[in-house]
Amino acid sequence: MRIMTSTADRIGLGWRPELAAGILANLDRIDVVEVIADDFFDAPRRARRSLRTLAAQTSIVLHGVSLGLASSAAVETKRLEKTARLCAEVQPDSWSEHLAFVRGGGIEIGHLAAPPRTIATIEGAAANLASARKIVGSAPLVENIATLIDPPGSDHDEAAWIAKILRATPSDLLLDLHNLYANALNFGYAPLDFLEQIPVERIAAIHLAGGKWIGHHDARRLLDDHLHDVPDPVYALLEEVGARVRQPLTVILERDGDYPPIECLLEQLDRARKALAAGRARQAELSVEAVA
Amino acid sequence: MSTPRFEAFLAKIYVDDRARTAFLADPRGEAVKAGLTEPEAEALEMIDRTGLELTARSLERKRSRHSHQSNRK
Repeated sequence: MRIMTSTADRIGLGWRPELAAGILANLDRIDVVEVIADDFFDAPRRARRSLRTLAAQTSIVLHGVSLGLASSAAVETKRLEKTARLCAEVQPDSWSEHLAFVRGGGIEIGHLAAPPRTIATIEGAAANLASARKIVGSAPLVENIATLIDPPGSDHDEAAWIAKILRATPSDLLLDLHNLYANALNFGYAPLDFLEQIPVERIAAIHLAGGKWIGHHDARRLLDDHLHDVPDPVYALLEEVGARVRQPLTVILERDGDYPPIECLLEQLDRARKALAAGRARQAELSVEAVA
Repeated sequence: MSTPRFEAFLAKIYVDDRARTAFLADPRGEAVKAGLTEPEAEALEMIDRTGLELTARSLERKRSRHSHQSNRK
């Protein structure tokens, strides 16, 4: 793995076949491209060669969606071995996975599910992340997920649960700000309180996305569907993170469908760049005031 | 709390309509039938029902979308 420690903030976009032409034509406005690792695990040789070609042209980070690391059940070795092979082939700057469970008792859930937030899943995540480091050769960044259900059986709130996982492992955090925003709205807490409770010095990367409200009246919840533009409060959260952390951040915009023209996505990248820069400027002002 | 058996139970009620219907009609009974512990059964009795229904619908849509995409390839 080409472990790259960036010294500057980077703003990028998730690779999707539908966006390929737009991304390739605008690499001067995209610092880094995030590729879904699972899409290439069993891909034909030609597709993997194309991915290597992309990696030669720009910075790549890999993002996994099916390991199910945050579980009291052990992660499947064969999936980690596929991740290891892909990382060896593509040499990404980093790789990441979700703090989720995705299967149980032989049933594939088909998406990311929030596990009970307990000591058992903290210990399970720590053990699974140790396996990941051993087989892949590097620690993945771990991402907070959006959930429509308050996970049953939990005895930790989300921030405390994530903070304990980060303390138990060397993995840093990929903080998905739309997931944070959606969970905060759905379960009635303030996103800034969440930021107060997690070790912000462990945030290495950020995801941005959009979503929509589902359900009726008093039973409405915000769904993180990646089919809509990034809402204003998520940019405000990005500025806030930029003001609070000193380390460089890699920020990725995720879009999974209902694709707008590429220019619309590039404008969202520009807006993210401005929001993060505004946060950095606030931090610099505070540093100057502290010295004076 | 949280064991592979508990997570397997959650996976089943998230994706299996019949299992979910049976569970919502008798959460404790279904939990006991699945061999879950008393604290696990208690936690399931207090489940966020709105969240469960919305989660199940959202997962169903995602599976359907992925299946369409797979068919297209």
